[in-house]
Amino acid sequence: SSPGKPVILKCRSPEKETFTCWWNPGSDGGLPTNYTLTYHKEGEKIIHECPDYQSRGPNSCFFSKKYTSIWTIYVITVTATNQMGSSASDPHYVDVTYIVEPNPPMNLTLDIKRPEDRKPYLWIKWSPPTLVDIRSGWLILQYEIRLKPEKAAEWETHFAGQQTQFKIFSLYPGQNYLVQVRCKPDHGFWSNWGHENIIQIPSDFTVNDT
Amino acid sequence: PACAGGAANCRLSLQDLFTRAVALSDNIYKVAEDAFRDFQKTYATGREFISRAINSCHTSSIPTPADKDQALNTESGTLLNMVRGLLRSWEDPLQHLTTTVRDMKEFPADMIRRVQEIEYKTHQLREGMEKIIKQVEPGVINDDIFAAWSGLSSLQEGDKNSRLVGFYNLFHCLRRDTNKVDNYLKILKCKVVHEGSC
Repeated sequence: SSPGKPVILKCRSPEKETFTCWWNPGSDGGLPTNYTLTYHKEGEKIIHECPDYQSRGPNSCFFSKKYTSIWTIYVITVTATNQMGSSASDPHYVDVTYIVEPNPPMNLTLDIKRPEDRKPYLWIKWSPPTLVDIRSGWLILQYEIRLKPEKAAEWETHFAGQQTQFKIFSLYPGQNYLVQVRCKPDHGFWSNWGHENIIQIPSDFTVNDT
Repeated sequence: PACAGGAANCRLSLQDLFTRAVALSDNIYKVAEDAFRDFQKTYATGREFISRAINSCHTSSIPTPADKDQALNTESGTLLNMVRGLLRSWEDPLQHLTTTVRDMKEFPADMIRRVQEIEYKTHQLREGMEKIIKQVEPGVINDDIFAAWSGLSSLQEGDKNSRLVGFYNLFHCLRRDTNKVDNYLKILKCKVVHEGSC
C-alpha cells in the first residue's frame, strides 16, 4: 500500500552554526520506500532538498554552516514515496536561534587538593564541548555540576556559571563520589550530563573547619 | 564605583558600558522569550500562527548578519549602528503595544508587566548604545538604519482571530530582534573590549 505519513520529530543545533532534523518514517506499506526532506527559508520561495542525508544517521538531515541561517524560519517537510503513492508530513517550522542544545562538556578531571594553609578540597575541571565558539561571544556557555556518594540516591547540584573549574570542600571522608557536568548556552537548552567520573575521598579528608 | 550617584560628568569605561549593555540585552531577550511563550501558550496553541509570522517582521528591511561568520566579519561600527537601528525601530511598536495591552481586560497581568518591562529596558539600552557609539566611533552614527512600523491596525481592528495574529507576529518579531541585539552586543563586547577573544 502507499506509505504512512512521516512525522518530523525534532531539530537541534549543537553550536548555533549547523543543525540536524530527525523524523519518524511511519509505515512503508510493505514496499521499498524513499524519503525526501524539502524546505524553504523565510524570505525565499525556492524549495531546496536536504543537503546531507548521511552524516547524522538514518531518517535525518544535516544542515552544515553553508546551509544554516539564524533568525530565519525554515519550513521543512518530509515526503515518503513508494510505487503505490506518496505521503507528506505536516510542515515543521524551525528557527535555529531557538533550538540550540550543546553537546556535554568533556575531559572531566577530579583531584584532591591539600593546600598547606587551608582545608583540603575536591578540584573539578572540565573543557567545553568541541566545535562551540565561546571566544567570539557568539555563544556563551554556563555549567552545572552534580555529585553524590556512589550509593546515595540524591545528587547535590552546583551552578558554576561560565567557569570551567570548581572546588568542593564539604565531602564525606572515605566515600566514593560520582561527578558529572553539563552545560547550557546563554539562550537554549541544557546538554545531557557528561560522562560520569568517580573519585575516592581520603578518610583523613576533614569535613569541619580545623 | 566611579559613577555612583550619577554624577553629571561621569564617564563610564567602555568595558563597564558594554558589561551593562550585555546584561541588559540578555535580560530583555529572556523577558521577550517569556512573553512570547506565554502568549503562545495562552492564545496560539495548535493554531499554527507561526506560518503567518513568516516575513512579517517590520525590521526585516534592515539587512543584518544571518550567521556567525557574517556577524564576525561585519565591521564594529556597522554592527553598532545595526543594533542602534533595531532598537530605534522598536520604540514605536513597543509604545503602542504597551498602551494597547494595558487597555485590554483579557490580557494577563503578567504579560502586560513584561511588555512594560521590555519597553522600559529597551529605552535604557538605547541610551547606553548612544554612549558606547560615542566612545567607540564618534562619527559613525547612522540614522538611516531604521524600519518604520505600520502594524497598529493589526492590533486594534478586525475580528479577534486577526488581532491575535497581529499580536503573535509582534511577539515573535520582538523575540527575534531582542535575540539579535543580544548576540551582536556580545560579539561586539568581545571584539571591542577583549580584542576578539573573550
